[in-house]
Amino acid sequence: MLILGIESATAQVGCAVGGHEGVLASAHSSRSRRHAESLTPSIEFVCRQARIELAELGAVAVDVGPGLFTGLRVGVATAKAVAQALRVPVIPISSLDLLAYPIRFTDRLIAAVIDARRGELFSALYRSVPGGVQRITEPRVSTPDDLRAELQAQSGDLLLVGDGAVRYRDDFRSLVRAEVVTHGLTAPSARDLVLLAHHQALREEWVQPWDVTPTYLRKPDAEISWATRDGVAGPRSGPDGRSGPG
Amino acid sequence: MTVWDPEAVDLDALPVLGIETSCDETAAAVVVGGRRVRSSVVSSQVDIHARYGGVVPEVASRAHVELLTPVIAQSLVEAGLADREVGAVAATYGPGLVGALLVGVATAKALALVWDVPFVAVNHLEAHLHAALLDDPDVELPVVVLLVSGGHTLLVAMDAPGSYEVLGGTLDDAAGEAFDKVARYLGLAYPGGPAIDAAATEGDPEAIAFPRAMIDEGLDLSFSGLKTAVINHVRRHPDVATVDVAASFQAAVVDVLMVKALRAAEQTGAKGLCLGGGVAANSLLRAEAVRRGEAAGLRVSLPSPAMCTDNAAMVAAAGWHRLVTDGPSPLDTGAVPGLSL
Ligand SMILES: [Zn+2]
Repeated sequence: MLILGIESATAQVGCAVGGHEGVLASAHSSRSRRHAESLTPSIEFVCRQARIELAELGAVAVDVGPGLFTGLRVGVATAKAVAQALRVPVIPISSLDLLAYPIRFTDRLIAAVIDARRGELFSALYRSVPGGVQRITEPRVSTPDDLRAELQAQSGDLLLVGDGAVRYRDDFRSLVRAEVVTHGLTAPSARDLVLLAHHQALREEWVQPWDVTPTYLRKPDAEISWATRDGVAGPRSGPDGRSGPG
Repeated sequence: MTVWDPEAVDLDALPVLGIETSCDETAAAVVVGGRRVRSSVVSSQVDIHARYGGVVPEVASRAHVELLTPVIAQSLVEAGLADREVGAVAATYGPGLVGALLVGVATAKALALVWDVPFVAVNHLEAHLHAALLDDPDVELPVVVLLVSGGHTLLVAMDAPGSYEVLGGTLDDAAGEAFDKVARYLGLAYPGGPAIDAAATEGDPEAIAFPRAMIDEGLDLSFSGLKTAVINHVRRHPDVATVDVAASFQAAVVDVLMVKALRAAEQTGAKGLCLGGGVAANSLLRAEAVRRGEAAGLRVSLPSPAMCTDNAAMVAAAGWHRLVTDGPSPLDTGAVPGLSL
């Protein structure tokens, strides 16, 4: 089965197409924050490179985060629309799984760490198993300090991977048996997405497009678009936002 | 995409799927030939945002991702259209909330790519202008359109579909924003427009003489002073009846809007006056537009409330016109949150 993979949960945007023969074509760009512009043309490009028609696709795989909300949504919306139009299922895959997967040939514990901005990190721990990695903690959002404390409590050697690990590597330096992966593998890749999705497709682990939701791990900021900048909207009274002289 | 060749297409029979996600409505619609509305599905997020008392951008974006797929599916079913019969996909790319716009743009581009049909990027304000024409196809141009919503307050001269001139606009708050903020201050429900409209029916519109900013000059408008005047009045008179404040505030807004709209019509020699935008659902504004507009010899077009508020039929109609005049938009189009008319 041919699978289109869409990855735009971090500062990169990428897509790839492949199946049982592996990845046939892929494209990546790092024009950060311009996901919407480049994603659809990239899909057109990789299909042409792989000499396949979109109609030949049997499933669409997508990185559902956690990651940067805007890019994440562009990827998820695009994947849902392609799948809806082709009437094929979607294979949702975690960005953290995607980070851990390419460094699976290790007996160390793997910490996948994504920069969540605003001084926080998305992370989860993995161990290698035959054919891949197994997630052993729930994905979570925390400060670098909290994550370091969590990692300190682990027995055994650690490999940290991801843009969050790179950005805060000085904070993790005090961890004695830990190493930060700094080259080449710091962002989730669309190629790995297609490979991982292919394993899932064999087990028919997929969902319908309308059932795909991004993993945010953070509540939305309840900031109203016309911010009460001049205070004239009256005193706030309670979470329903009602206010006034009563 | 296969090269777009308008000669090879029966434009009058071309079904356009429209997608609208610029603010807090998730909408999809099918319009044939830029005129005939086959379906128009709107999933309002008003209830979701009511607990915040306003539109929360991140909340809106999340809801669009969740709602858009089923809304599109329903619009196609209601139109009796198979996927492959869609002739083009149009989506709002601005103005609006960037994260919300991107959901619609990404979805529309992907659908257009798979179906191998043109993608058309639509200006949300231009779409609102088409709403007036959709509901009243006999409009005689040129007309002046008074576009009033939570995000915009504009006076636009329209000579032909696709040919506009902005005559004036608000210098600060949009009219709908003033409604929301005053309603919030008065402890009325969100959204503020319908709440004030309802409260005003019980109140005296002449109880308080609120200021009519810049009423004697030009075609621009200002509402922030009015909002402040309402708040100051309530502070000074804590016992004032809320319904009287609502009625007097609404009368002041409508008065200014009508004076400016009629001045614009006179200056441009327009034959008609059209209303558009969410505030055009306001009952006093509709009544006054007919009364004062017709007294001035204008043909007055009032789109149905469903066509005034954000919907995708107007996006599909505007998209059809854009496609006919300019051809498809590139697939690397992004969102332009600050787009103007
Ligand atoms: Zn609007």
